[in-house]
Amino acid sequence: MSQQASASPMCFPLPAFEVRQLSFRYDAVRIRPFGDRSAWVINGMGFTVRQGEIIGVIGPNGSGKSSLLKLLAKLVRPQEGTIRLFGAELGALSRESISRQVAYMPQDLSSDFPFSVLDMVLMGRFSYRRGGLWNLVGWERREDLAVVEEAMAQTDVTHLANRMVDTLSAGERQRVLLARALAQVPRVLMLDEPTAHLDLNHQLDVCRILQRVHEQLQMTVLLVSHDINLASQYCDRILVMKQGAVVCIGSPQEVIHPRVLTEVYGCQVLVDEHPETGLPRVSLPGQDRHQTVAVSVRL
Amino acid sequence: MIVHPSPSQASMSDPPMTIPPRPLQTYEGVASWQALRARRWYAVMGLMMLLTCGAVVFCLQFGAHALTMAQLWSALTFSEAGREDVARVILWEIRFPRILMGLFVGASLAITGAALQALVRNPLADPYVLGISSGAALGATIGLALGLGSIVGGLGLPLCAFIGGALSIVLVYGIAASQGRLPMHQLLLAGVIVNAVCSALMMFATSILNPASLYRVVLWLMGTLSAPSILSLIGIGSCLLIAILLLLRESQALNLLAVGEDAARSLGVDSDRVQRTVFLVSAVLTGAVVSVSGMIGFVGMVVPHLVRILCGADHRLLLPVSALGGGILLMVADTVARTVVAPAEIPVGVITSLIGGPFFIYLLMTRKYRFFA
Repeated sequence: MSQQASASPMCFPLPAFEVRQLSFRYDAVRIRPFGDRSAWVINGMGFTVRQGEIIGVIGPNGSGKSSLLKLLAKLVRPQEGTIRLFGAELGALSRESISRQVAYMPQDLSSDFPFSVLDMVLMGRFSYRRGGLWNLVGWERREDLAVVEEAMAQTDVTHLANRMVDTLSAGERQRVLLARALAQVPRVLMLDEPTAHLDLNHQLDVCRILQRVHEQLQMTVLLVSHDINLASQYCDRILVMKQGAVVCIGSPQEVIHPRVLTEVYGCQVLVDEHPETGLPRVSLPGQDRHQTVAVSVRL
Repeated sequence: MIVHPSPSQASMSDPPMTIPPRPLQTYEGVASWQALRARRWYAVMGLMMLLTCGAVVFCLQFGAHALTMAQLWSALTFSEAGREDVARVILWEIRFPRILMGLFVGASLAITGAALQALVRNPLADPYVLGISSGAALGATIGLALGLGSIVGGLGLPLCAFIGGALSIVLVYGIAASQGRLPMHQLLLAGVIVNAVCSALMMFATSILNPASLYRVVLWLMGTLSAPSILSLIGIGSCLLIAILLLLRESQALNLLAVGEDAARSLGVDSDRVQRTVFLVSAVLTGAVVSVSGMIGFVGMVVPHLVRILCGADHRLLLPVSALGGGILLMVADTVARTVVAPAEIPVGVITSLIGGPFFIYLLMTRKYRFFA
């Protein structure tokens, strides 16, 4: 068994994540002491994230996408099932060693405390700090600063370094979060709705940065998004979730299909081709003008 | 003449499939900022140390019995001329212990407040939010009611208070902790509940106390630094030293926790351990401080805010500067308290609120302080 595990990287690269029979529900016992436990948020999921791919996770609201990311970052513990990170059991890894391999980028950055952008990005180096009597407060070392400099240049936030975080626009905040994630020098980058609340230009910015770091650093990227078109353009594979389970997983051409989307989202959609890339593109059905008038009259 | 393109030229002339990589940066910018910050840390700490020493000397010369600079100098330098001088006794046996106590108590309150504000992510947090102080006050009241106030060489009252504080630490922790974790909202709720229950019990105890004991309870509750024993000085000083070291060790983790618990955990903070450590350190230090000095308000909540306005939110700088700033503030306030209506005294908590409140409002109104945004 152990021989197999040690030999396998020679032939096939180990999967970034290997998830088996994963089930999770939030523990609501303390809130409702009598009776109904909360429903399963993740219900028997199993899938593999290959090394070096961009994989998108899509699904309707409440399908467990964000919970899945939290499970993979070990922010919450599953009740059943196993998660393997590059072949190692996630539950047995220390928080520091996980954060040196996996960067989790939350939806938004909210801080009441007056931290500067540089403060914020330097926080990405926490798991690499060296304590000790002479560095009790944990100042960053020179190599930490080099990494932070590079991460800030990659995401184009160098000029914001001394700005307070709460004075930034949404797009700038997102780039700062990305810089902090890159400062962790992770092998896997996990993003929760990276383009939510962003205008078109900033969406493009974030996506380009993502693609650049993916190509330059061979980083595995796991992306949760409501934007199916974005997932279609940038992801190698797409995982479709519904009610905490995998509906299907495959390339955009395989997965983004009217039948699948109608089954998952419960509404009619149109799928055609992107004029430049030829990848599938999703649109909602057009609204009949007369029907709109009829509805408003009835109201 | 036809020049055949070399393979490298050919590949360069191809349309780029991807966005070209950025040129490698030189690592000057951030490195120099950071070097400046580290240097700034030492500079600010040095400055604060000097200020603290200055404040100690400044406070030494004021009091009910005014001293000239010459008397002060001879007493401080142990010169032969002033051997029999009353000034020496006043300085070394009355004023110096009291000033030192002010320094320790102020430092403890301020550093605890700063750490707790980050821990519970609430700008209104102060050392008394944990409910430990009420437990200590209840312990002191019960001690006085039972006539234990003057046993063990005057240490009876602090001991009773500390036992009360320790019991309430156990109580708060027991209520808040679940499955090895310490959820912050539950910690706050537990603190509020213990506060309420202890206050009610204390009111009950004071209602049946005799007037003499009642007066001592009221005096103690108002907070005073007068006549500390050498034992309580050593006790609070060593508690403070250990607490500073432990909190400084967690200061970067506190930075991350202040931003958000999930974010901190994903960045590698063992949040359960850090939260437990900071809670226990803060609780024990608060219990010790309240035991020796009663309830001195305001210092623990506002000093961290003042320091944040001046030095930023980085807890690596904020915690030690808050400690020294709180010490200075309380020393000066206590000097005012024992000087202005000498030989009587004003409760020092009155002075801290009267100095600090308006100053804080001024800072809030004139400078952009974004904590409450």
